[in-house]
Amino acid sequence: MALLEVKNLQKSFGELEVLKGISFSMEQGENLSIIGPSGGGKTTLLRCLNFLEIPTGGSIAVGGRTLFDASDAKTVSEREIRRNRLHFGLVFQNFNLFPQYTALENVALALKLQAKSEAGNGAARKEINARIDAQCAELLGRVGLGDKLDFYPHQLSGGQQQRVAIARALALRPEVLFFDEPTSALDPELTGEVLRVIRKLAEEKMTMVIVTHEMGFAEAVSDQVLFIDGGLIAEQGSPEQVFRNPQSERTRQFLGSYR
Amino acid sequence: MFQTVLQSLNLGFLKALQIFGLTLLGGIPLGFLIAFGSMSRWKLLRFPVKTIVWIVRGTPLMLQLLIIYYGPGILLGNNIWGGSTGGRFTAAVVTFIFNYACYFSEIFRGGIQGVPRGQREAGQVLGLTNTQIFFKVTLMQVIKRIVPPIGNEIITLVKDTSLVRVISVYEIIWNGEKFIKSAGIIWPLFFTGLYYLLFSGLLTLLLGWIEKKLDYFKV
Ligand SMILES: Nc1ncnc2c1ncn2[C@@H]1O[C@H](COP(=O)(O)OP(=O)(O)OP(=O)(O)O)[C@@H](O)[C@H]1O
Ligand SMILES: [Mg+2]
Repeated sequence: MALLEVKNLQKSFGELEVLKGISFSMEQGENLSIIGPSGGGKTTLLRCLNFLEIPTGGSIAVGGRTLFDASDAKTVSEREIRRNRLHFGLVFQNFNLFPQYTALENVALALKLQAKSEAGNGAARKEINARIDAQCAELLGRVGLGDKLDFYPHQLSGGQQQRVAIARALALRPEVLFFDEPTSALDPELTGEVLRVIRKLAEEKMTMVIVTHEMGFAEAVSDQVLFIDGGLIAEQGSPEQVFRNPQSERTRQFLGSYR
Repeated sequence: MFQTVLQSLNLGFLKALQIFGLTLLGGIPLGFLIAFGSMSRWKLLRFPVKTIVWIVRGTPLMLQLLIIYYGPGILLGNNIWGGSTGGRFTAAVVTFIFNYACYFSEIFRGGIQGVPRGQREAGQVLGLTNTQIFFKVTLMQVIKRIVPPIGNEIITLVKDTSLVRVISVYEIIWNGEKFIKSAGIIWPLFFTGLYYLLFSGLLTLLLGWIEKKLDYFKV
């Protein structure tokens, strides 16, 4: 069974139809790249999947369980949306780290708040927090920032900030991790360190969806590639198919602009 | 003489301090309420709130003192404040709280809206509740942004307290001025200036210290 199944997802802003029916599915451990021209709807798609926007049509299912179905009239409660979100993680183009917290605090915040609402206050919670800190420090170690735990975001380079953001998303153990152009806001010499972290996650079989303009990277790491243009999937297939033997004229044009 | 003057000035300064303290105490929470009102999605709330803020910020505080104090008695035939010293003081404090709350609200609104949308969204995708996002993510950034402009308002407030004399609340300048008539001396007035300078100097130091405390992060 597919881990993530998206069916005919649509999103309009007033009159403007941004997503016109996107369908795809992915297996556990799969790595899917989304490419396409600016304004095509890639960011909107990720935002819909993370419920930052509520889709106007279609459905989203995880592990066979429907999280969202636009045709199902019942409105989803705030609480339910929050629970649904925890299946997913999102890494933003511009990191969005919390500036008032250190790298470690950024990564640990959500877990600690969860523990607080479950364990209440007191000694038990202290112990839980210490465990969370240890666990988050280890995560930061995995993204190569074990020596930067107590640094504030403004004391870190863009590449380091993005790696903290990745650790922050990983801390909640999402089933699918989404990246929206994770290296677009970075100086070219800093993209490598972030891409290396993502590649390592791919090797560890983290299920990931990556919107990217790094064609070489997409071709190298992904199992499946979507080319999204004008709110529709214009091409879909293995990296070899999409990059080496594109069927649509639009895809050829787009890829041509990267050569 | 010197003793008499100092005693009198101290009394006046105490009044000014009371108005100052009470205005902050009431004005800051009320300012937050007004700020949320002016950002409400609900037009029926947002529009009147914004209109009131516009009126309060667009007219002199002195005029507001006069209208709030005399208005009820003359327009409604019922002086809700009572004629006593205490009544005038209450009217002054109420006016100040309301006036300053409106100024604060604009600063709070700017501070809240100035926090990038991505901060909120980062909290949302981490599964935080709206309350958690406000208190754990947004608030500290708002505070950092608003300390300098709120500081300016606070310094202005110190000096604005002198306005309450128009409804005969005897603050420090009134207490200094009375010696011109009674004793023909002006130095008590210069002294009142010293009180203001010392107090606003102290506040400036305190505000600077707070700003420095918040320097550990950048927004
Ligand atoms: N909140 C919104 N309100 C109205 N229109 C929006 C909104 N968000 C996105 N759009 C529009 O939707 C379209 C798709 O935007 P989107 O950001 O998803 O594109 P994208 O594929 O991510 O582009 P890029 O490669 O530049 O990041 C654009 O025309 C954009 O103006
Ligand atoms: Mg985008």
